[in-house]
Amino acid sequence: MEVTVNKTLDAKGLACPMPIVKTKKEMNALEPGQVMEVQATDKGSTADIKAWAKSTGNQYLGTIEEGDTLKHYLRKASSEEEKSQTKHPHVVTLDELSKKIEGDEKITILDVRESAEYAFGHIPGAVHIPLGELEERFEELDKNDELHVVCRTGSRSDFAAQKLVEKGFNHVRNVVPGMKEWTGPTNKLH
Amino acid sequence: MKMAIIAANGGMFDAYKVFNIATAAAATDAEVEIFFTFEGLNLIHKEAHKNLPMPAGTEHFQEGFKKNNVPPVDELVSMATEMGVKMIACQMTMDVMSLEKEHFIEGIDVGGAVTFLTYAKDADVTLTF
Repeated sequence: MEVTVNKTLDAKGLACPMPIVKTKKEMNALEPGQVMEVQATDKGSTADIKAWAKSTGNQYLGTIEEGDTLKHYLRKASSEEEKSQTKHPHVVTLDELSKKIEGDEKITILDVRESAEYAFGHIPGAVHIPLGELEERFEELDKNDELHVVCRTGSRSDFAAQKLVEKGFNHVRNVVPGMKEWTGPTNKLH
Repeated sequence: MKMAIIAANGGMFDAYKVFNIATAAAATDAEVEIFFTFEGLNLIHKEAHKNLPMPAGTEHFQEGFKKNNVPPVDELVSMATEMGVKMIACQMTMDVMSLEKEHFIEGIDVGGAVTFLTYAKDADVTLTF
């Protein structure tokens, strides 16, 4: 599986706690929203990276094993993202979305998270355009479709929904809170 | 998270126990303070901390440290300092052993039991090694 990252950290061959110490250092240099790949051979690093992300408020996306190398994916969270602020007036809850998916009506789900987040789990059939690319790629979407925009917490999808309204889309709904609490089926890009 | 550690032993294994936990905690945005007392002072003594003894009969583990790329103690100590881990040498032990602040690595403070207790009283994690 190909995962797009902003930074790769080579912590192979290092013993605990070095992979974590290095991760912390490199994470400080990343911009909020960027994704880092941490390569490690320390078998304890998977549990450690997960726990570290939880304690520091960053987002652990997942781990891929390649031979002896563990590739951990982390996304630097921004402080604003954790606050749920909704400005786009039309929202839909995860329950409502589930029911719509099961129903007969055709709906379109637009996932605006980063590629690495999408790769580690998205709603089956969701169209993927990261928020940062929406400006150039919105024409790939159909203005007549009922669009359900989703991200992790409802914050990026709110920006995306507002942007789409600006571009003349009239049937846009922001899914709240987002993939963070989604318990329905997901697909992975494996 | 706020972490308070007492380092009271001066062997090489003790150094790893103390500094691995301290650096991992600091990397996880914890506030960390270590109080070095009695043999624990070896861990921050300018010369001694570079050549700490291994427990008798465990010398063969030396190879394991190398093979697993475990950083030397002095490297861990400077990493801890760099990450803001606060280190306090016990005044009373220093007096007993005739040690001065200059005998220790850069950046440490000297204090008594109350200095540490005042910090540790509301710590989330308190450890003794």
